[in-house]
Amino acid sequence: MDKPKSLVHLNRRTMIKAAAFAGIAQVASPFIITARAADNVKIGLDNPLTGTYAALGKNELIGAQLALEHINAKGGILGRQAELLVEDSTSGDAGTAVQKARKLIDRDHVDFIVGNINSALAQAIANVAYEKNVFHVVPGGHTDSVTGSNCHWNVFRVCNTTQMEANAVAGSLITNAGKKWYYLTPDYAFGHTLQAGLERAAAKLGGIKLGADLTPLGTTDFSSYLIKAQAANPDVIIFLQAGDDAVNALKQAVQFGLDKKVHLAGAQQELEVLLGLPPEARIGTWVFEWYWKQPDVPHVNEFVAEVRKKSGGHVPTARTWFGYAALWTCALAAEQAKSLEALKMAKAMQGFKLPPDVSLMPGGAVYRASQNQLIPDLYVGTAQSTGSDPEDLFHVSEIVKGADVAGTLESTECKMTWPA
Amino acid sequence: MTQLVLFNVFNGLIVGAFYALMALGLSLILNLSGVINFAHGGFLAIGGYLAFTLIPYVGFWGGLVLAPLLTAVLGIFVEWLLIRRLYGRDPLYSLLLTFGLAYMIEASTRFIWGAQSLPFQVPGWLVTPLSSEYFFVTGYRLFMVLVVAIAVVGLFLILSRTRLGIRIRAGTLDLETVSLLGVNVRLLRNMNFGLGIYLAGLAGVLAVGQLGLQPTIGGSLIMPSFVAIIVGGLGSLPGTLLGGLLIGVVSGVTTVFFPSATEAIIYVMMAAVLLIRPHGLLGDEGRF
Repeated sequence: MDKPKSLVHLNRRTMIKAAAFAGIAQVASPFIITARAADNVKIGLDNPLTGTYAALGKNELIGAQLALEHINAKGGILGRQAELLVEDSTSGDAGTAVQKARKLIDRDHVDFIVGNINSALAQAIANVAYEKNVFHVVPGGHTDSVTGSNCHWNVFRVCNTTQMEANAVAGSLITNAGKKWYYLTPDYAFGHTLQAGLERAAAKLGGIKLGADLTPLGTTDFSSYLIKAQAANPDVIIFLQAGDDAVNALKQAVQFGLDKKVHLAGAQQELEVLLGLPPEARIGTWVFEWYWKQPDVPHVNEFVAEVRKKSGGHVPTARTWFGYAALWTCALAAEQAKSLEALKMAKAMQGFKLPPDVSLMPGGAVYRASQNQLIPDLYVGTAQSTGSDPEDLFHVSEIVKGADVAGTLESTECKMTWPA
Repeated sequence: MTQLVLFNVFNGLIVGAFYALMALGLSLILNLSGVINFAHGGFLAIGGYLAFTLIPYVGFWGGLVLAPLLTAVLGIFVEWLLIRRLYGRDPLYSLLLTFGLAYMIEASTRFIWGAQSLPFQVPGWLVTPLSSEYFFVTGYRLFMVLVVAIAVVGLFLILSRTRLGIRIRAGTLDLETVSLLGVNVRLLRNMNFGLGIYLAGLAGVLAVGQLGLQPTIGGSLIMPSFVAIIVGGLGSLPGTLLGGLLIGVVSGVTTVFFPSATEAIIYVMMAAVLLIRPHGLLGDEGRF
């Protein structure tokens, strides 16, 4: 009888000790961080470092780190040094991304939060940032709702909406490849909105949809989809996959010799995907959101040279630029508002044009007022197996002005409400 | 429509053969050692990466031979260092260990070779379609099926004709008796693990011929293999082969009618098999 009693006693004491320790840890750590916060302005990066989007996440991180160096070299943010706190959001787990966002905001007291590549995770982080009144920049999650039906006054986005990409590329697709399209669309938010956007854009230009199949995210074998798409006899098979799915789909389509029967093309394309493809599969008409080879645009060559130094000789991709522009957006917002208060910064960024050494594109880039969406240039062209440099895999044939493809503010469905 | 279905049945067999190759390795390890090897996909990725690294020096064929062998050596080392400590315990222990190992392997490949997909190339003449109408039958895919067939026949010969194979099969049925008869069970399990990982490495080299080579490649390929084992029946190698082919065909034919469900359908099939015939199509009753 005595023994179990003493056991219970011991357990309870251990529990109390553990609880006390945990309590001290809770109280102690914010104290230490607050002490540090007085010195540095903190930017939290909640982005994938593992999983499917790890390669894209790494490039955004390199861009962010370079921006941080530049910001600090120019005197920091409001005269204080800036500091980057990096968390791995994972590539697809919204729960982890939200938990990391809460940690960055509640425990680390960041002044800004940046993320995410995955649209769903970007939206989830945006909701936390909105609830906590923190200035949030989405570097590379494309689905329309982030700056559309679910927009928030404190959430800014660097990359394009899927509708902008679709509008930019639809004309070239019809001219280069033909009017009869068959879509292969990844079965998640990004794919759905991109296909819907392309359908709208193509319909205006006389494009015909012969069919569309949704492919589950992470599909490795596309052969059965390709058999079906080819049977419909389209002019062009439109691939809307991103990342590794895009590599798998295009590699298999070219191995089947489909590039000799129909056009293989799509909307958004990235250098990371083209680098992962064998040379013969680097084909088709696409839109890039930023490209490194712009010899006539000021500051671009310097940017490329600096990124090469940081990344083992690799050129910057659109992702590197997203990370770079996202961090600069934070610094510029604070400088513009002369404050770190999220509301003042968000108001200061309405209609704000990024300086040329940050926008790094011929026509510049502006945050559209009452939507917080960056309106940049878009690069329409064709993939190429080889170029002047081992990483020059895209030939830009047309620079499209973002303002021409962004649609009206009403069409984005963003109805922004500001706090009183 | 009929032609589309027939094409997809044929194509499904090709895809299924590949699932079967991965599942056979998993099944070997599971049957003899009771280890559910979640790190199997990781070893597959290592096979692909080793081939990518070796090919500039030894050519495609050299890489195809050497990379799986080196992967098997790594597997033997991992078994010796970690896995053997957990035999005889609840399978949950080895499941947790190999689950962690899968993450470690993924992180290591990312550290060594980078997160960026690598452009793995097979000889040009191999990837040419054999005919314009049957464009999905490329030389490479036929070659893949041939390699799978050789591996399967080889495996069955090893298991039925060699001393090692007979011991593995006997050990699968009654390890204690085999041990009492003087067989070095530790070595037997070690070699068996190596054989299973060899198949993973081989599957890895074959897979990256038509997929992008990235650290997560193993994770995306391993689930169909687990389903193949469960559908085919735990403990039965012919069952695993059948399971692999079956999910390849079912998932292919689903594309014709309900494309977004190609992934879900294999789990529906697994659930149906578990409900109607819980020990799998060819599995032994009462095992696990």
